[in-house]
Amino acid sequence: MQTLGNFKLPPFFNYPPYFTLQPVRDTREKQVQLWKELILDYCKTQKISVIGLEEEFPLFSNPAIESKDLFINLCISAGSLTHEAREAFLAALVSEGRAEWLDKGHRKCLILWHRIQDWADILLNFVKDNGLEDSVMTVEEIRSGPESRGTDLQGVDRIILMRALKLLEHKGKLAIFKGTSADDEGIKFSR
Amino acid sequence: MRRRPGIGGLQTAAAARDQYRLLGENVAKIRTDLMKEQLATFRSQLEDFARKHKNDIRKNPAFRSQFHEMCAKVGVDPLASNKGFWAELLGIGDFYYEIGVQIVEICLAMRAQNGGLINLQELCSLLRQKRKGLREAVSEDDCLRAISKLKVLGSGFEVISVGKKKLVRSVPTELNKDHNEIIELAQAQGFVTVDELERRLSWTSGRAIDALETLLEEGFAMIDDGHRDGRRRYWFPCVSSISSLGGNDA
Repeated sequence: MQTLGNFKLPPFFNYPPYFTLQPVRDTREKQVQLWKELILDYCKTQKISVIGLEEEFPLFSNPAIESKDLFINLCISAGSLTHEAREAFLAALVSEGRAEWLDKGHRKCLILWHRIQDWADILLNFVKDNGLEDSVMTVEEIRSGPESRGTDLQGVDRIILMRALKLLEHKGKLAIFKGTSADDEGIKFSR
Repeated sequence: MRRRPGIGGLQTAAAARDQYRLLGENVAKIRTDLMKEQLATFRSQLEDFARKHKNDIRKNPAFRSQFHEMCAKVGVDPLASNKGFWAELLGIGDFYYEIGVQIVEICLAMRAQNGGLINLQELCSLLRQKRKGLREAVSEDDCLRAISKLKVLGSGFEVISVGKKKLVRSVPTELNKDHNEIIELAQAQGFVTVDELERRLSWTSGRAIDALETLLEEGFAMIDDGHRDGRRRYWFPCVSSISSLGGNDA
């Protein structure tokens, strides 16, 4: 089994045709499904929330496929997803609510390995588990304070956290207000 | 017997014929009885054998295969019916039924990735994974027997030989001679190119592309455009074990 760090890669990752967008509908559907699952899994375990399409992203190329090719022909890009392919897979995630484009040019993508609603639920549990009703905390404290250690909230991407907080504010579960420092907001949890 | 004229004579002749006939029937009956007895002996010896070696038959695929051959020689098919002596003694009717069901499940699950064509080795390996922890090991021979039972049920399963490999087809699409040749060539590296078909098989590019496009449409092939030489590769999942590709496998 090939690994990326400590992440176990699925078998399809070592099969070259999966790095080319398949033209046949049924085959393409399967390909997209496999890549969607891989992207979500990988991002979740590595706590990655933003993917830049034009940047190096370890999942989008498989050097093992490339190096085998050096002996057959001098191609380099054998095991690398084209921009079109990357966009196709991420777009599939977007259309099922597991990702969002951060810009119109589709260059950056926010990965929601938990949906915003799920993050909101996680926050509510966080409040309950730590007896935080009616108390105040900064956004930064939520994601890096001792209470979040060992939970999904630890190190959570700020964009995602703010979205979830805004959703809960909308439902009256908390209030967001500007804090003492210029760039940190405070949260008052409802009773 | 002395021939006697008159009615008495006729009656004697009739009686004589009857007796001959009875004797003839007896002889035939004796022959049949003898045969039946021989068969019964064979059968009971086979049953004794099966009883004595029940565990070995269940647990050991090689032994099981030889047992089947022996049965076939004597004209006994332990799998002929799910009820009856054999099924009860060995429970192997259920065993093959179970494998058959699992094979169908596996083929269905893999269909989106291989179009409905899988090599026997990979199928067997997936079957073993599925059955991990169960007492009974399965061999490729067991798979083939289970599949032949599936065929009898009209499920559209077919085992075909292409080059060195046996492929299990679980979709009605049949492969023609050109397709077979392509898949056989693909066994070397897992893929073929149009160039290669033109060169090695002396085909026109039209013929090569036609055949490849059909295989692609059917889901038996996948394209790979990741090479700077611009040559598209057509990969065939059915000649690889795509479910177990590691870092260093072809």
